[in-house]
This record gives sequence, structure tokens and C-alpha cells, in this order.
Amino acid sequence: MFPGDKMKADMKTYNRLAAILFFLAMPLLFWALGDTPRRSFLKESISLLTILGYFLMLGQFFLSRRNKKVLKPHKTGKVLRLHKIIGYIFVSVLLVHPVLIVVPRFFEVGISPSEAFSTILSTWDSQGLILGMIAWSLMLILGITSMFRNKLVMKYTAWRVFHGILSTVFITLATWHAVELGRHTDLPMSLYMGTIAGLGVLLLVRSYLQKSSNIQSA
Amino acid sequence: MSISSIKGCIGCGTCIETCPTDVIRKDPKSGKAVITYPADCQICHLCRMYCPLDAISISPEKSIPVIVSWG
Repeated sequence: MFPGDKMKADMKTYNRLAAILFFLAMPLLFWALGDTPRRSFLKESISLLTILGYFLMLGQFFLSRRNKKVLKPHKTGKVLRLHKIIGYIFVSVLLVHPVLIVVPRFFEVGISPSEAFSTILSTWDSQGLILGMIAWSLMLILGITSMFRNKLVMKYTAWRVFHGILSTVFITLATWHAVELGRHTDLPMSLYMGTIAGLGVLLLVRSYLQKSSNIQSA
Repeated sequence: MSISSIKGCIGCGTCIETCPTDVIRKDPKSGKAVITYPADCQICHLCRMYCPLDAISISPEKSIPVIVSWG
């Protein structure tokens, strides 16, 4: 093995470890150390699934061609394939999370799942809920436009810009919604979410600005 | 104190309607439910059971089992 190859392999390992640390271990740590009262296994599992789905979504900003410097040792095709797979996983989890919240009601006394769901959907004076509904709709558009990209009457470059802008608006609203309504989003977790989301958006904006300044100077 | 926290309230007001001792009130500014008279809580769990988002927590150390009819 050449020294360059070893360095490349090491860089790949570091990147994988960093991804696991920032988007899996840290959220789990915040969840475990948070002072939110613990509930049943089912409820906590649903909370964890949603939290991890959200952090997978944040990871998408760093797992794209925009993060060229860090992802240099990895093959672009592989990175994009992983971006796609993770995208479909998190979109599926987050699309069903409003329904997942009421699932434990099947096993409890009190409000029924359908009644709980209709109460949630009919409460229009909650800012956090409205933000969530808009974010949910944007996520649906993100998922559909990614799935059927080839069928859209749009050039690939135009679609990429569209995808980036849509993701930025979506992540902003989704983070706001999660901070406001999330059961486990106490101050440390909210700050962490805000920081990672902010960095992701910055990375995207910076790459767009750099690109446009390169075009202007050419 | 028995009702311990409300996190993730959407302001639907169900808990306020179900609480028999008016422990919870709606904050006029935020529109969300707040624990106003915690000392009056009878640990009946109705607010927790009827909250659609499961946003209400009851202190486990002060809780008594919920009595449910079999019929």
C-alpha cells in the first residue's frame, strides 16, 4: 500500500467516525443525559427514532458534493448513493412521525389515537405545529422531487439549486419546530441542533457564493 | 407537587378542560398550558391521559396507580 493510499484510508475512517459521533452518538448522549421524564419503552423508542431521523437529515448537508474538502477521499458516486439512501430513510421516518406520536394511545386509557391526531391537526393557533406542518409539506416535496428527478422538466444544475434552497428552508423550519415542540429538546440539545443546522446551511450557502463568484471572475 | 412539567404543548386546551381542580391554565401570551396551581393537583392523571401529544409529565414518586373500570 502506498503512503498516499494509507492516508486516504485513514481519512475515510476518521470521516466515518466523525459522522457516527456527530449524528448518532451525540444525539443519543443528549437524549440520555436530558432531564426529560422517562416514559414507556414504546414512547421512548418512538422519540429516539424521530431524533435520529432528524439528525440523519442534518447529516445530509455534510454528505453531499458541497462538502468536497472533507469528502475528498470518498468516491463521489458512493457519497451520492449514501445521500440518497439516507434521504429516503429519514424522509420516511419523519413523514410518519406525526402518526407515530399517537400510536401508544392504542395501548392506553384516555384519548383515542384518532381523536388525538385530529386534535393535533385542528389546533391552528400553535406556532410550532404550523411550522411543523409547513416543514412536513416541504419534506414531502423534497422526497417526491428527488425520487422523480428524471421526470421533472428541469436541468440537473437547476434541480440541484432547487434541492439546496428547498432543503435550507425546510431545515430552518424543521429545527424551529423541533426546538419548540420536541419533548427532548432542552437547552443543550436545542443549541446542538441549531449549531449543526447552522453549519450545514452555511456550508451550502458558502458553496453557492463561491461558485457564483468563480463564474463572475471567469 | 405531582404534575411536574409540560413540554411540547400545542395549546389545544384539552388538559385545562379535563383537570377537575383547575391546576392548569392557559398562558395568554404564549397560548400554551402552564401549571398554575400545582399544590391543588390530585394526581388523577386525566390531563396526561387526554393530552394528544403526551406533553404532560407526572412525578413518578408521587403517583398513584390509575384506576380503570373493567366494564
